[in-house]
Amino acid sequence: MPNEPTPHAAVLVLPRLRVQNANAISSPLTWGFPSITAFTGLMTALARRMGPDAGIRFHSVGVVCHGFEAQVTQGGYTRSFCLTRNPVLQDGSTAAIVEEGRVHLDITLVFEVTLSTALLDDAKRAQCAADVGECVAAMRIAGGSVMPPLPGALRRPPRAKLTLLGGDVEAQTKQFKRLSRQWLPGFALVSRDDLLQNRLEELRANAPAEATPPTLLDAWLDLSRINHRASLKAVPDAIAGEPTEVVEWATDRRSGWLVPIPVGYAALSDLYPPGAVAGARDTAVPFRFVESVYSIGQWVSPHRLADMTQLTWRPDYAPASGLYRCVNAFQAPTTDSYTPISFEE
Amino acid sequence: MSTISINRQAELRLLVSTFLSERLESKLEKLDPDDPKRDELRQQFIPATWLEDAARRAAQIQAVTHSLKPVHPDAKGTNLYSPPSTLAGIELVGSHCLGDAFAGDVVGNAAALDVYKFLKQMHEGHSLLALSVAGDADLAAALSDDPAQAQAWLQAFATLTEPRGRVTSHTLAKQLYWQIGDDVQAADSYHLLSPLYASSLAHRVYETLQDDRFSEAAKAARDARKANTFSERPVHEYPQMAAQQLGGTKPQNISQLNSERRGNNCLLASLPPVWRSTDLKPLLNTDSMFHRYSRRPEVRQAVKDLLAFLKTDPTRNVATRSKRAAWVNLLIDEFLQFTAELRSLEPGWSQTPQCKLTESECRWLDDDGVNVTDAELDRVRPTDIPERICAAFANWLNAQLRPPLPMGDPEFLAWRNAMMEEIKAQEREGTHAE
Repeated sequence: MPNEPTPHAAVLVLPRLRVQNANAISSPLTWGFPSITAFTGLMTALARRMGPDAGIRFHSVGVVCHGFEAQVTQGGYTRSFCLTRNPVLQDGSTAAIVEEGRVHLDITLVFEVTLSTALLDDAKRAQCAADVGECVAAMRIAGGSVMPPLPGALRRPPRAKLTLLGGDVEAQTKQFKRLSRQWLPGFALVSRDDLLQNRLEELRANAPAEATPPTLLDAWLDLSRINHRASLKAVPDAIAGEPTEVVEWATDRRSGWLVPIPVGYAALSDLYPPGAVAGARDTAVPFRFVESVYSIGQWVSPHRLADMTQLTWRPDYAPASGLYRCVNAFQAPTTDSYTPISFEE
Repeated sequence: MSTISINRQAELRLLVSTFLSERLESKLEKLDPDDPKRDELRQQFIPATWLEDAARRAAQIQAVTHSLKPVHPDAKGTNLYSPPSTLAGIELVGSHCLGDAFAGDVVGNAAALDVYKFLKQMHEGHSLLALSVAGDADLAAALSDDPAQAQAWLQAFATLTEPRGRVTSHTLAKQLYWQIGDDVQAADSYHLLSPLYASSLAHRVYETLQDDRFSEAAKAARDARKANTFSERPVHEYPQMAAQQLGGTKPQNISQLNSERRGNNCLLASLPPVWRSTDLKPLLNTDSMFHRYSRRPEVRQAVKDLLAFLKTDPTRNVATRSKRAAWVNLLIDEFLQFTAELRSLEPGWSQTPQCKLTESECRWLDDDGVNVTDAELDRVRPTDIPERICAAFANWLNAQLRPPLPMGDPEFLAWRNAMMEEIKAQEREGTHAE
């Protein structure tokens, strides 16, 4: 790359995107909201479309959901997807049925970016933001189409905005706070790998010795459902004097709005050199068979996030384990949550 | 497994012959006693004949853990047999969690499925398939007295887990780019990933869900909960679960395990919360928005904590001030969230007779609605709504703290200014976006 200019940290916000018929089936085991990989993929596609001359580099992406409308049947214990009727094949035979789940979304996308020195200029930066907005309007987001805002639905039609970040951490935190309040009301998806590990340890501690030791899968399922447990409590009986046992059913407390989510892919095969796999869509890129891997996510209101790293996800690759995953640095406030680490007067 | 033991050979031979005779019996039962096909069947089930045929047909099916067909039934490409123990033990949920007790799947010609059933026979904790893959000498000896032939059959069975033909993907398979390098334009910055369906993993999840939902034990636990009696087993609920049908009316076209699941693919819900459904209602029949605001759990907690902290009469220093300011900031955050939620209601609710809020509160929460009335009545819109709201907030907070603590004008000003700063900042950002 010819002499890369000094990058300047900035935040690109694409507010209130209406996405129609996005993919609601995020993995072979989960549904409801597109996989976070769909958004990191969008980020890459966007970076490629903008080209190297745009002066903007994308690092990570966060998503805030303001509203969604899943296209599923209501009622009963199990949802099923409202299907579309697809046309027949070229030769007139019926096409194979592939059930697709669809969801209409109202989301805000937040990108962590760095800008070239040319974009320090306010007008140029505004132009760049407008270009990105235009570019995204013509793209697919998680397989769904970006729709213009409904006429009259909002007082001010939302526009893409590119904000330069201040130099020091404190100023950036303050800027992030201000920005995040514009994403209300809504919920941001963040990672809770820590809860998955904690639950595994809890399960292992409580597991009977002779049973097969619980795995991450058990911990994951346990966090994905509502558990009601019965306990026996001895209550002293005032008349008889003998304590009587009382049954109490309690529901496990859930620390926040936790959901099972796919976070990326794990290798199943070796990495095949470019062109070695027949039928690959690109013969210039190494190819690998993978499977989806899962973790626990949490939906939190953006005003509860401390900074950009807590909101956004970036794609990561670990060559040793063949793990392709999206990383998010959300840290739950500790129990002493109302005492901040640093606060300016 | 390489030590040759006559005993073990005999056991394996018995396993093979039992399997064949049971299969033959079940087929003969369906036929008339004098049907000429009976002799034909008996011929087919002579071990040497059957094994020869099975070894040939083994090529038509493949044992897999990860299959392609669930991605799209018309996709043709490589399926993989990757036992969980061979996968990297990452700290996320995936097939590697299954351990040794996993259900293998079969893809390919359904007419050759009996070969897989045969190889699924267990001997001392190992399937015949596993023994074939390991090149077990006892099994070879059990299959045929001719060592060359036994070896050939064993190898044919062992190929069941191997990919067929050259490695292939398909236009209908999912293939996605994953960025691994910095330069987004360069081809070497990417890997092309093709996700296969983790059939064994899906099966384990399916079995757990079926057990939690429909098993007798689960039903008993649910009944116990209803009757409020004790149950050792907890009740598990999977809210908002969805089911996807794989393979339509022909789940067996996808794979053996998919057929066992009757094509049902269970999906756990990861829906975002919708504040609309929780308690977002217009503020009616109440004279202040702070009543409902105070009831928010986060607000209650913050007020409680702030009060407890101030009651300790902390020394007046920077640390105290910043601690106090952090709680106030949290209250402001919650207030802005509360505001944003109410503003997403259909405009005009504040103009109904049931709405008893003050004028400034109506304007704050339902600006569009009040504007319509302004236009009808030809009223002038006041410009000091944020100031009035900030004052109301400061009054409310003072009232929350006052009974034990002496709160007065300095505190009022501090709360008001803190809120004012945030609202002004938010408005500035808002107008800047124009």
